[in-house]
Amino acid sequence: MKRILLAALLLASCSKSGTADLQISDASARETVAGQTATAAYMTIHNRGAGDDRLVSVEAAAPAKAMLHVSESSDGISRMREMDAGLALPAGAAVHLKPGGTHVMITGLGAPLRASDVMKLRLKFEKSGPRDVDVAVGAGGR
Amino acid sequence: MQRVRIILWALVAVALAAFAFLMLRPVNETPTQQQPLAISSIGGPFTLTGSEGRPFSSTALAAKPYAIFFGFTHCPDVCPTTLARMVRLRQQLGAGDRPFEILFVTVDPERDGPAEVGKYAELFNSPVTGLTGSPAQIEQVKKQFGIFSQKVPDSSGGYSVDHTATVLLFDRKGDFSGTISPEEGDKAALAKLKRITA
Repeated sequence: MKRILLAALLLASCSKSGTADLQISDASARETVAGQTATAAYMTIHNRGAGDDRLVSVEAAAPAKAMLHVSESSDGISRMREMDAGLALPAGAAVHLKPGGTHVMITGLGAPLRASDVMKLRLKFEKSGPRDVDVAVGAGGR
Repeated sequence: MQRVRIILWALVAVALAAFAFLMLRPVNETPTQQQPLAISSIGGPFTLTGSEGRPFSSTALAAKPYAIFFGFTHCPDVCPTTLARMVRLRQQLGAGDRPFEILFVTVDPERDGPAEVGKYAELFNSPVTGLTGSPAQIEQVKKQFGIFSQKVPDSSGGYSVDHTATVLLFDRKGDFSGTISPEEGDKAALAKLKRITA
């Protein structure tokens, strides 16, 4: 019985090796004010394919830099950490990058982002390769 | 046989010691507060620096309920999310246009001067008072309000700051009334805001 369970567990944890089919939607970022060089970008990545994929890294237009981050909070303390292993995108699942969770942290902005600007990001996926995304800049009050 | 028994008893002793260690060590090794504070002593008078570089004294809050949040302007996610939420809740409360004050105090005074906190506070299109001070002043105010913060280096050569993300609420008398956590629903948060604005 134990052996069967173990085999099932191993199978379940195996990645699905088919083709990933990624759909990126609702990409948005908060506007910034003069002197503020950091913001966060959010989006939904839906993997409609039969194979798993992984978001490995994100690039922003120079001089800005982009990093994949996750905010966590426990005991009332909020912590932000880099996701060194990237973000898993299982086959058939939609992964949401949203406030207070996984997000793309943008640092070193050369100029403020204004509402209705569009920011370009390049997302690099393990299997699907690079993908350029237009990120809509929205008002900070939202 | 005798030897096996000794070894087994030794193993039992090790297991007991490990169990005792697990039971006796502090459950949470991250301090949520620098010092345990008695509820009634949270807050109190303070003087910091406002967005124009002028001193801001807590006497300006006399007879005004307020919500105070500690963060930093390089914080791209949790801080603007929290402040935007407080602004939205204030609008939802619908008790006049400014039923309570919203204060934002930086825990990163090295990077956040008066101009930075002031401009950051403008992001929310609603009155938010951004405050900074000398590192010593900020330490003092953090202590008064039971706020934890700690710098954490990141891979780009900069740093992020882990910090208490709970909003603290004070009533008209300046007494500590409660907190709003990021995980808490709007309904519960609004009920607490009603209490301080009553």
